[in-house]
Amino acid sequence: MQYAPQLYSAALRMTRNPADAEDVVQETFLKAYRAYDSFTEGTNLKAWLYRILTNTYINKYRKKQRRPSEVELGELQDLYLFKRLGEQSGAQVSAESQALDMFVDEDIIEAIESLPENFRLPVLYADVDGFSYKEIAEILDIPIGTVMSRLHRGRKGLQRKLWNLAVEHGLVEPSE
Amino acid sequence: MSGCENAVDYVYQYLDDELTYAHKTRIKWHLKRCGHCMSAFQFETSLKGKIAEGGKSAPPAELFDTLRALIEQERNKGDSDC
Repeated sequence: MQYAPQLYSAALRMTRNPADAEDVVQETFLKAYRAYDSFTEGTNLKAWLYRILTNTYINKYRKKQRRPSEVELGELQDLYLFKRLGEQSGAQVSAESQALDMFVDEDIIEAIESLPENFRLPVLYADVDGFSYKEIAEILDIPIGTVMSRLHRGRKGLQRKLWNLAVEHGLVEPSE
Repeated sequence: MSGCENAVDYVYQYLDDELTYAHKTRIKWHLKRCGHCMSAFQFETSLKGKIAEGGKSAPPAELFDTLRALIEQERNKGDSDC
């Protein structure tokens, strides 16, 4: 039960729906209970559970969605949000960090959930769950280089979404 | 490659603590001398913290009871199979 809250939260970001998130977590715990013999005591229990969670989610929902999971985000500038906000605040050095206060938790959740799955999961695992690149590579069963490039692009995509939300809410002046 | 480009290219690996000590130290030196990169790194640090906090949702209170009941049921099923 130790990791139930984190697993539920991750499942909710994956499925974007509380009932589906509960289903995924229940199935994950059941599978983990049944497969516990295959878990090596003293190794990374949290990563092992997340791997089961991820596979459960993928098996259950990727089929249902029937959409390609590899979506591109397009070319995005490095430090996307920092640069956009910098254009707003002129030369004030600390203004960009203060500007982050305008984002509420709902914005963060919306920005994470807006990312295509192949970028959303690495961002979620690194930024919200605090996994290392090596752990994420194991959870998602992809090479570490792929984790890094998806994380890099996913984070830029998330920043673009936050910027767009700020524009939509009239909190900043659109730059283009 | 300029110090700025080099720092910005590795900003996430720096924040994720995925760089070697030597590489991290080189970036730290650059940040000490470059106010713009320093504020960019501070910004990315704050944003990472904000995502870590804001990206979490609490589970419904009954989830724990449901999970406990589920495992209990599975355990009993296992016993009756013997």
